[in-house]
Amino acid sequence: MLRKEQSDQLTQTGPGTPMGLMFRSYWIPALLAAELPENDCPPVRAKLLSERLIAFRDSRGRYGLMDEFCAHRGVSLWFGRNEECGLRCAYHGWKYDVTGQCIEVPSEPEASGFAKKITLRSYPLVERGGILWTYMGPPAAQPPLPEWEFITVPPPQTFTSKRIQESNWLQAMEGGIDSSHVSFLHRGDLNSDPLFKGARGNQYNLNDSRPVFEVAESAGGLHIGARRNAEAGHYYWRITQWVMPSFTMIAPRGNHAVHGHFWIPSDDESCWAWSFDYHPIRELTATELAAMRDGKGIHVRYIPGTYRPLANKDNDYLIDRAAQKAGRTFSGVEGIAMQDASLQESMGPVVDRTKENLVSTDNGIIMARHRLLRAVKALIDNGVVPPGVDPIHQKVRSAAIVLPPDVPFTEGAREALIARPDIAPASV
Amino acid sequence: MQSESARMSSAAEARFRVQAPNSTPRAIKVIALDAAAEVAIRRLARTGWAHATFFTAKSPDDALSDLAGAHCHTEDEVDTADLVVLIAGPGGRAYAATLIGEACSARRVMTTGFVVDALGASDRELSKTLAQLRPWSLMVVIANSDEYLDDMMTALRA
Repeated sequence: MLRKEQSDQLTQTGPGTPMGLMFRSYWIPALLAAELPENDCPPVRAKLLSERLIAFRDSRGRYGLMDEFCAHRGVSLWFGRNEECGLRCAYHGWKYDVTGQCIEVPSEPEASGFAKKITLRSYPLVERGGILWTYMGPPAAQPPLPEWEFITVPPPQTFTSKRIQESNWLQAMEGGIDSSHVSFLHRGDLNSDPLFKGARGNQYNLNDSRPVFEVAESAGGLHIGARRNAEAGHYYWRITQWVMPSFTMIAPRGNHAVHGHFWIPSDDESCWAWSFDYHPIRELTATELAAMRDGKGIHVRYIPGTYRPLANKDNDYLIDRAAQKAGRTFSGVEGIAMQDASLQESMGPVVDRTKENLVSTDNGIIMARHRLLRAVKALIDNGVVPPGVDPIHQKVRSAAIVLPPDVPFTEGAREALIARPDIAPASV
Repeated sequence: MQSESARMSSAAEARFRVQAPNSTPRAIKVIALDAAAEVAIRRLARTGWAHATFFTAKSPDDALSDLAGAHCHTEDEVDTADLVVLIAGPGGRAYAATLIGEACSARRVMTTGFVVDALGASDRELSKTLAQLRPWSLMVVIANSDEYLDDMMTALRA
């Protein structure tokens, strides 16, 4: 249970809100670089943290992200012409550069200097690891560029997709750290999904359906360990990373790619679910990439031309009751991503947390909320930079590992939980 | 045609969620297993929880006491618990964990192990306490700040 005012604080991320200020402390993924594939390509709309923005790539390859609407009459610049180092409004020809500075107002004499007085709010947009990242906070507090391992490995080793989710970011993110649902909702996928099957660790999962959980604070967020029995009295640990505010990384399986998510608010009732797969020491195979593009693992198939999943709430997520009854899927929805999204969207755009009945195994969720609320308060009251901003907090990995019974997983997996170049992930 | 999912998960439909209470109170027994834990639960108990009661058990025998020092029987308290929270500091002084854990296990009562004062504790000290708590805890929490106890208790409707 969370009091309404606490829930409101965590779920509202628009300009001026406490959690909005916190999100504006970080570099966040805004677009796939592939959405702006070449100079002077069509602009792209992007709603982030309840702000409607337009992104474009100018004639010199510079990226811009700014207020979507022309300062003149409020027309959407999505209809604009991207030409000669600027985005020109289709209505009266006002033109803006990548910093949001108006550089031409055709109806006014150039010598009047009128254009210089017109500036749209803009944010930096930089490419890193095939993703365009933005920082929407005060320029003076701009942190170093992101250093997540999945964007720093060579391009053939990483794959990222995104989808829109029709729920608040927090209930989506909480699904990412809610390890106890895996034994139910996703149980049908361990031995069938091409990006999961075949790992030795899967057998530990299937042999012991009642894992025991441990939660420990990390510098950037939380380590959430799920413990199952292994051979000779040892424990098989699956350790999830959560880095504030909304990065989650799931423990790997065998030699499969490692995967995780960012949950970025679009507005208070929808979010962008970013999903990445990468391998720290090898290229992804053609088979793996084909599976990812085909919506396997944590990725989805789309309605063509959109980032909306093909299975969505307008078609009841293509639920297959026969597959549910036969046990091929637990919920009847196919695919790990949509199994999660369907249930999280069913909670409503912003779930009423005053009515929930959390249990002991929900301590990962409880502690994440606790850390977020404390970080927001420290930021608002004392200007304390929140955890997760420092790139050292981003150099993390999830891990799957077998340990003796009396070893704290934070000790036994200490090295495995740090991203180090050319070192294989700890996986079983 | 719009599906049931599209309609039922809308913000407008959320207004029609049944407003009746959906749970009855759960009894939570919070037990300090060493001196560090006792400091934490004495502070916690001052908040005045509606559904939580607090005890200490600092020896391996049946020496459960309430915070006023009155002796209580472990089986009696576990019998009336929905959740038992076992709290201990680093260093491996949670001697009563086994006795209480066995009582919970026999009665199928949920248990949470909670390590206080973990910030700055050595791996060895932490390991000793975990070795005592883990066999009896279905959830173990290692928190840097004891303030987390308050949020956990609130979240669990204590």
